[in-house]
Amino acid sequence: MTTPTAVHSANAGTGSSAGPDGLAVLARARWPADCRDKLPAIAGFVTSSFSPLAAALADLCLSSYFGPPPADPARGDQIAIVLASTTGDIATAAAIASAVDEGRRVPPLLFFQSNHNAVAGYIAARWGLAGPVVCTIPVGDALADAISSAELLIEDAAALAALVIVAEAGRSGETEGTAVLLGPESWPPAIDASVPAIAAPANPGDRSP
Amino acid sequence: MCSAEPDYREPPKIAITGLGVTSAFGRGIQPLLDGVLSGRPAFGRVARFDTDRCRVAVAAEMPGDPVLAVELAAVIDDACDTAGLDPDDRAAAVLLPALHSDPAAARDATARSVNGDAVAELTARTGLAPPARVYATACVAASTAIADAATMIRSGRVGQVIVAAGFLVDADTFGVFDAGRTLARDGQVRPFSAGRQGLLLGDGAAAVVLEPAAAAQRRGAAVLGWLAGWGRAGDAYHVCQPRPDGAGLARAIHAALSRARVDPADIGYVNANGSGTGFADASEAAALHLALGSYTSTTPVSSTKSVHGHALEASALIELVVTVLALRAGALPVNAGFLAPDPACDLDLVLGAAREARPRYGLSLNSAFGGANTAILLAAA
Repeated sequence: MTTPTAVHSANAGTGSSAGPDGLAVLARARWPADCRDKLPAIAGFVTSSFSPLAAALADLCLSSYFGPPPADPARGDQIAIVLASTTGDIATAAAIASAVDEGRRVPPLLFFQSNHNAVAGYIAARWGLAGPVVCTIPVGDALADAISSAELLIEDAAALAALVIVAEAGRSGETEGTAVLLGPESWPPAIDASVPAIAAPANPGDRSP
Repeated sequence: MCSAEPDYREPPKIAITGLGVTSAFGRGIQPLLDGVLSGRPAFGRVARFDTDRCRVAVAAEMPGDPVLAVELAAVIDDACDTAGLDPDDRAAAVLLPALHSDPAAARDATARSVNGDAVAELTARTGLAPPARVYATACVAASTAIADAATMIRSGRVGQVIVAAGFLVDADTFGVFDAGRTLARDGQVRPFSAGRQGLLLGDGAAAVVLEPAAAAQRRGAAVLGWLAGWGRAGDAYHVCQPRPDGAGLARAIHAALSRARVDPADIGYVNANGSGTGFADASEAAALHLALGSYTSTTPVSSTKSVHGHALEASALIELVVTVLALRAGALPVNAGFLAPDPACDLDLVLGAAREARPRYGLSLNSAFGGANTAILLAAA
């Protein structure tokens, strides 16, 4: 089992080291873990590696804590998602710009991934995370700032825990990222992380209301 | 769902002491107030870029070719001047910006962020300290920043916080929304109405100064309104569609009201998200019924996106400003574009003309892709 690690946040940008007490890193993941790692595609997301990267990080982190999706509903309902990226999804933005500049119609699928919330919604639906969704472009250290954002949500009692994802995807497909599950020290430790980390995901985009 | 019930030992006492806004109605708060009370939409044929390949060619644009950093700096200056912040106050203030991505950055292979140089330009123009982050949570970006500002203020760790947000209609955003078939082909936004066809984009920039009540009192600053409560919650439902039952937004409303210890009966106006989209408006109506119960039928509702358009990352701040102005003016804005009732949106809509009322509390609601929902509760000063 993984032992939770206590959190001592820098609370970047808030001018204080104050933060909610009793928080721990319950699980963590990095991408790539190995130079041979290849991102699984997500149905409905095209052109850019940003959303697949964020989804893969979520799967790696959450599956090591909960096992296969969804999360335990009693806790999933109380988990926020903080998705941070200093670059943002610049490949999608560039694809839209190219279509406009070349006088082509913008590919409709790009609409659904044109902001970071889309993949956050994908993760929330896949894992049953019903806390707030927050997406940011940190100016400095992305992980420290994303953890500060998560702590604000928890301090605000908007959530008890947060899945913090930092996803950096370049125009040429290069990807790097980190995810941590930040939550109460009193929550159980992670399960043995022997589950398949990234199973082929269902596509929440098919769920028509 | 979420059992993380906030510790509401005392209702928050957060003062709104500064406002600045720019919209397609013009620069300043009076043109915006006049526009939302008149119910006269600011939409027109897009003049800023070519729309020949688009299904729709209508948006609410400011005249000319405005520059976002210039507009943002102007509304921040207006808000700081209204609040009476001196240079020392400004230097110590925390800036929380909510911005749409910069089309120039998408075309610049050396750009390190989708925001390009926006943050550096903004701080250079305003003299404010660099922010820690830009809020990019789509249509709840600015309201998320408001909630974070409130949390920081309530903890006592900051004094003045300036929340600023901006979006100017550009060819890329227009093109991708058109491709997504979200824009209203009839050139009108008709929130909660039968026959509604979708949203229309609109220019907008706004800034708000928030501070502890005690700080405002010490400075002798006039309080324009109170941030009485806030709530945010997720749907865990879909990439881009809201939960049909509105449960996520209802939880956000419940959190905002509970924090302020305000009953649904006390809400005298709801500035709805009301994008004019079929399923989203029905979901929001369901959320209001869940959260306000029997009081829904007597709570006036309007979506001012029907006149100023959807300003994306800035929309929640524009609509917060509208709600504060309405509470101060004693008049509730019009839900324009209405054709006929939709049984899925059984609400007390403000139709035809502004409604005279002096409610103590107004609620500003916003929802976004990814099932992100926010509710901001404002109290009259």
